[in-house]
Amino acid sequence: MDDRSTDSDRGTDGERSILDTLGEDIIRIVTPVSLCMLLVVLLVSSLSSTNDLSSSISSLFLSSQPSSLSSPNLLGSDSTWEEIKSALITAFSFVVVVTLLTFLLVLLVYFRCTNFLRIYMGISSLFVLSFLGGFISLLLISYFKIPIDPFTFAILLFNLSVIGVFAVYMSKFPISMNQGYLVTIGVLTAYWFTMLPEWTTWALLIAMSLYDLAAVLLPIGPLRLLVELAMSRNEEIPALVYEARPVDPQPGDRIRVWRERTDVRIDATENSTNLANVQPVRETRLVVSEEITAPLIETFPQTSDRQLGSEEEEGEGIGLSLSGAIKLGLGDFIFYSVLVGRAAMYDYMTVYACYLAIIAGLGVTLMLLAVYRQALPALPVSIMLGVVFYLLTRVLLEVFVVQCSSNLLMF
Amino acid sequence: MDGRNDQSTVDVESGERRRPSAIRSGGVVTWATVDGPLGVSWEEAEGYAKRFFLWGFACLPLLWAVNCFYFWPVLVSKASPSSPPSFSRIRHYVVRSSIGFIVFAVLLTGWALTFAIGGEHLFGPVWKELVMYNLAEKLQLTGWM
Repeated sequence: MDDRSTDSDRGTDGERSILDTLGEDIIRIVTPVSLCMLLVVLLVSSLSSTNDLSSSISSLFLSSQPSSLSSPNLLGSDSTWEEIKSALITAFSFVVVVTLLTFLLVLLVYFRCTNFLRIYMGISSLFVLSFLGGFISLLLISYFKIPIDPFTFAILLFNLSVIGVFAVYMSKFPISMNQGYLVTIGVLTAYWFTMLPEWTTWALLIAMSLYDLAAVLLPIGPLRLLVELAMSRNEEIPALVYEARPVDPQPGDRIRVWRERTDVRIDATENSTNLANVQPVRETRLVVSEEITAPLIETFPQTSDRQLGSEEEEGEGIGLSLSGAIKLGLGDFIFYSVLVGRAAMYDYMTVYACYLAIIAGLGVTLMLLAVYRQALPALPVSIMLGVVFYLLTRVLLEVFVVQCSSNLLMF
Repeated sequence: MDGRNDQSTVDVESGERRRPSAIRSGGVVTWATVDGPLGVSWEEAEGYAKRFFLWGFACLPLLWAVNCFYFWPVLVSKASPSSPPSFSRIRHYVVRSSIGFIVFAVLLTGWALTFAIGGEHLFGPVWKELVMYNLAEKLQLTGWM
């Protein structure tokens, strides 16, 4: 198989089959997703464990030691029912808010207020990178006792966040930096989400995947409306989407088809009560969910946030290239990482299981994409598989593995 | 230029088949940016280089580093008769950006290392108050989220 492809490569460089580029395309989207998940797992396991550093590292490889900070029993206590109720309420209200905001976004785009959106998104990405990034780096500095002085810290934070805003905002910027910053934003937001209580996180994940399914596939779904609006107008809509480099770039390829995210309004004044917890949560979510549709390049079918789209030669291209790159919304990155991060808070075994589930789900979604060739939601399959695998691992697999290990039978 | 147009069909030995490289063998530059065909064209590149350079003065030395990174092919190759006319102008900005960034990096690293290694021996008890983890605790910077 390999020989055949190299022969054909060395032959005429005109004809290339899908097999030549398919593997590399998939790798180029799976790598950043995996990197994002890995970073979130590292952050979660280093910042929330009370074990010292060496035992955390050793437990990474042994994978049969539940961390001492594992979550409380899932079953059998009255307060659990309270937790479940509040989780459901939180998740439901979150989805409602996200839906409303997405419709608001559709309205704004309909009335061509794109400039306002872009400025707002620039400010909000600056906010997220500087405040959330600063917060998490302070946590890391405090945990690892890094002797840095405030002057250096301020300069570095300022520089990195401003460059980050440029990287995701400007169309002409080094692609690697742009991709790196998108992954960074995903990591920061995902870590922030893992700070929610456990039941809330799971309810939120399931609710968001259902919302994603509805918003993209239903004819009245806001994301679908946004895509159609973009297509009918041949306009760019500001959005945050990770785009893999095309495998075979032609001169004149435009890789940057989107601009930035819509809104983040982290209301820093609200905290500490349960209901108020909804507020900061949902407002950061604005960032994520509003990274709605990628704008259209000249009638090519575009992707929405948390959807997968491939710039295949669907439409009548007006001079732009068919780069065939796969695009994945940043919200997908974030929710995959939240799932894996939450799994990391229990044990590393669940991390491995959920990681495999998510990658399998991503593969399934890509296959569906190749079949249907339209914008698809990337969340439902992966999240559902991830949740199922998490439950199965936690309930069934762990007992089995621990028993085998402690009797030196396997693993 | 013809060279640029043909570049996409040339196999490059670096193992990345069919990906045009920014620098052909011989040090002649075909693409202005490190992104190759996906980056800016020669005409726009000068504007970008100048803008990165000027904005770097707004306390953003990292932008100078970005400038050097982005126009790396211009930085490492020499001007030749076949390079586009904007080459020398781009190189002018990029070289100055690199000088600025190196100066800044040396200064900042020196100061940071002095602070970290010197510690209390050098600064006295004020070090304990200045170091970031104590400062963050004192100002409750990590408690608000």
